[in-house]
Amino acid sequence: MLMPAPDKTTLSRRGEICTALKAMLPAGCVIDDDATMRAYDADGLSSYRQMPLVVVLPETTEQVAEVLRWCRDNDVKVVPRGAGTSLSGGALPLADGVLLALGKFNQITDVDFENRCVVTQPGVTNLGITHAVQDEGFYYAPDPSSQIACSIGGNIAENSGGVHCLKYGLTTNNVLGIEMVTMDGDILRLGGKHLDAGNLDVLGVMTGSEGLLGVVTEVTVRILRKPATQRAILVGFDSAQEAGQAVSNVIAAGIIPAGMEMMDNPAINAAEDFVQAGYPREAAALLIVELDGPEVEVDYLLERVGEVMERSGSSSLRVSQSEAERNQFWAGRKSAFPAVGRISPDYLCMDGTIPRKALPEMLTRMSAMSQKFGLRVANVFHAGDGNLHPLILFDANVEGELHRAEEFGAEILRNCVALGGVLTGEHGVGVEKRDLMGEMFTEEDMKQQQRVKCAFDPGHLLNPGKVFPLLHRCAELGRLHVHHGKLPHPDLPRF
Amino acid sequence: MTFLPEDHEALEEFMSQAVSDKTSLHVAGTGTKEKLGDRVTADASLSLGRLSGIVDYQPEELIIVAKPGTRMDEINAALAEKNQMLAFEPANLASLYGAEHAGSVGGIVAANLSGPRRISAGAARDYLLGFTAVSGRGTSFTSGSRVMKNVTGYDLSKLICGSMGTLAVMSELTLKVLPRPETSTTLSVKCAALAQAQKALSAAFKSATEPSGGAITHARSGALSLGDEPAAAHVRLEGVAQSVTDRISTLSDILAGFGEVSVLEQDASEAFWQDVRDIAMLDETAEQVWKLSVAPSVVSDVINMITAQTSIRFFCDWAGGLVMLSGAGDGLNQIVRSAVEAHGGGHASLLRAPDTMRAAISSFHPQPAALAGLHDRIRDSFDPLHLLNPGKMGPALT
Ligand SMILES: Cc1cc2nc3c(=O)[nH]c(=O)nc-3n(C[C@H](O)[C@H](O)[C@H](O)COP(=O)(O)OP(=O)(O)OC[C@H]3O[C@@H](n4cnc5c(N)ncnc54)[C@H](O)[C@@H]3O)c2cc1C
Repeated sequence: MLMPAPDKTTLSRRGEICTALKAMLPAGCVIDDDATMRAYDADGLSSYRQMPLVVVLPETTEQVAEVLRWCRDNDVKVVPRGAGTSLSGGALPLADGVLLALGKFNQITDVDFENRCVVTQPGVTNLGITHAVQDEGFYYAPDPSSQIACSIGGNIAENSGGVHCLKYGLTTNNVLGIEMVTMDGDILRLGGKHLDAGNLDVLGVMTGSEGLLGVVTEVTVRILRKPATQRAILVGFDSAQEAGQAVSNVIAAGIIPAGMEMMDNPAINAAEDFVQAGYPREAAALLIVELDGPEVEVDYLLERVGEVMERSGSSSLRVSQSEAERNQFWAGRKSAFPAVGRISPDYLCMDGTIPRKALPEMLTRMSAMSQKFGLRVANVFHAGDGNLHPLILFDANVEGELHRAEEFGAEILRNCVALGGVLTGEHGVGVEKRDLMGEMFTEEDMKQQQRVKCAFDPGHLLNPGKVFPLLHRCAELGRLHVHHGKLPHPDLPRF
Repeated sequence: MTFLPEDHEALEEFMSQAVSDKTSLHVAGTGTKEKLGDRVTADASLSLGRLSGIVDYQPEELIIVAKPGTRMDEINAALAEKNQMLAFEPANLASLYGAEHAGSVGGIVAANLSGPRRISAGAARDYLLGFTAVSGRGTSFTSGSRVMKNVTGYDLSKLICGSMGTLAVMSELTLKVLPRPETSTTLSVKCAALAQAQKALSAAFKSATEPSGGAITHARSGALSLGDEPAAAHVRLEGVAQSVTDRISTLSDILAGFGEVSVLEQDASEAFWQDVRDIAMLDETAEQVWKLSVAPSVVSDVINMITAQTSIRFFCDWAGGLVMLSGAGDGLNQIVRSAVEAHGGGHASLLRAPDTMRAAISSFHPQPAALAGLHDRIRDSFDPLHLLNPGKMGPALT
């Protein structure tokens, strides 16, 4: 993966840049020694590493504004960073860029049960929000598996999801407002404790913008009352195709479970070896379906889902009988990544989405690709919303395997798009899928997205090299291509 | 004359010609919400009434793909047949605007109009998965997709929703749909005052009974004087029958602490929320209709501040966070907008007013300068010549 060539002038001005940043920030907020900076040289996509020019850890919104304004005036690039758990390289530093980390923005500022929302600084972890409200029986719904570590600011930048998104939505459906700073150093408040923008929905486009449009300095999210009952069902299938069909059948029956996850046989066995969740080892595929709500509703839906599963050819079915057992069902799924990490020296986690009905076809193609590339794959899916997480197993110490794994991954994503799906369901494009954007979007589609970028950051200084394969200059993007041709449909009614 | 394209290609050709000629366009779906937003002055008209029809409806994928001019009654009928719905409960504002029908799906999305279920299920903007459009540059582009979960590239669907045809003209859109709830019941509780009614809603929404609507009505019609006038809070419960029955009993106990509780069953419940959704509870003849979005907890303070200065009719939705009010007078603009600003912010939008008034004040809540500048630059990035619905969202700064 090629990153834009570092700007030599910026590199040569490093000393001067560090001095300026130190002058505007409190002591200890600028990190410029290699040993400490090393901790910031990668995010969750750890096959890519790059030392930043310098790391800054501002403490206030005004300081963020001052840093950004100074960097804009001095033509210095900036990469925002939350907790550094991105799996797409969104927070990968640039050699000629200031890494702006939000680690010191770690306070929850307002817990408001009356309006059922929480106002927090962006560096607070996703789970930290739930912890602040759980004693009153509330929680924050989007639950990425990384929720103990990832920051809510990072969640907004990536529009992160989790196993319960099927019923409760992604980050974008749960954010009410943000305070943000533009590359110009303007501090903007979007939304708040009220609903809707009442004008252009800038909050909506900021969510999922991967740190390219602005730096989020405060977040207001809605919190939900914890459901009265939660129960899970484990359903085994003799073929992955049948399991895929069963997922569609549940939705077709008019049921939207809180979560509907799928694991294939290699993933089942890796998880079973790791946490002994009680999964059926012989099953070709396993579904975990969670239902929540009032007890009578959950009982009723459990029965209906059970019927659908049986009709779809399930080979085993277990309903959780206690909270401990429900957690045990989830333990295997939630530890799928580390579990796979034990059976393979390295793995790549992919993240495409396909229409639910294409699941059986995709699984067939996946085995064929696994053969073709000579690499094993373990599959965990957020099956209910068609979001796939194939884990490609490889050994980086074997010459060429990383490359082959990346090729395999790219082919999976191309197949996702070909089946009517998308490159990424929740992890973001970052650097990882940047060069595949053309699989899904035309040149003009991407140009329009970049024109929006230009409205926020005309100098392309905020997180450049991410998301878009080609950096068009804003002046060029703004040019109109007017053609003075004849009207092709002279017979159509016109003004 | 009005240009009525029948397919995407015709639309694109027309638009690129308009760009060449710098012809500004009044863009409309089926024209039912002409009076929503600010007044447009343009060289020509573009209507999407014939760019119509459901392109693809896949109930088991929970998506419907339609052309923008497809009428809402057609969409709703198709969904009802499969026991599904647009969960954001789009309003039918025909009576508010004196139109003949609920308008087109493109218009609903462009105006980001959502009904009572907004509070629990989200807004129109939460259901637009993707679209194809022609921008004010005359070029076609696509954003988003047809699947539930997608974070590839910027989420331009959010910008298009609520942009009132000022960024691009959609030629096809994909919406997420959901199963229709089996049953609907409403519990109403009489309260001594508005603040009390808001507290009742808050208690309901804090409970585990999963309300899908929370409205406040005021007992007296006509001008409102608060004092000890009674108000009522209404909470809707939807879902499978067993579940609703169970939740009714829990919620009744909670609401009983606030006053006398009564129940609206299925048809009556649906009729009540339809009136809330369609803003049918206000004075039909009122000079002005306003929509205020605030934090639910401040609603009675906001209303008190307004009624201390002028007489209005109103009701609330979204657990108290949405105020629909009618009133009259040149000063109302200032009164409602400063009431919102004095209580933690939000926005007050003018939904209906005489043309002279619409020409004098913007329907949209004023923005701070930095944000207004960003809006302008975003609009320019789609429509640099300001050809699409010029003036609809207020005058451009540049
Ligand atoms: C084991 C593991 C499991 C995971 N599971 C899931 C999952 O289930 N679902 C899911 O969606 N993701 C998952 N992820 C991915 C990752 O956790 C999410 O993308 C998360 O939201 C990143 O948050 P972060 O704070 O670590 O952000 P970072 O990695 O620091 O940054 C991510 C991006 O956000 C930008 N950014 C960060 N903070 C800000 C800010 N304040 N303002 C502007 N831009 C900012 C960065 O520039 C970067 O582009 C997983 C990751 C790991 C390692």
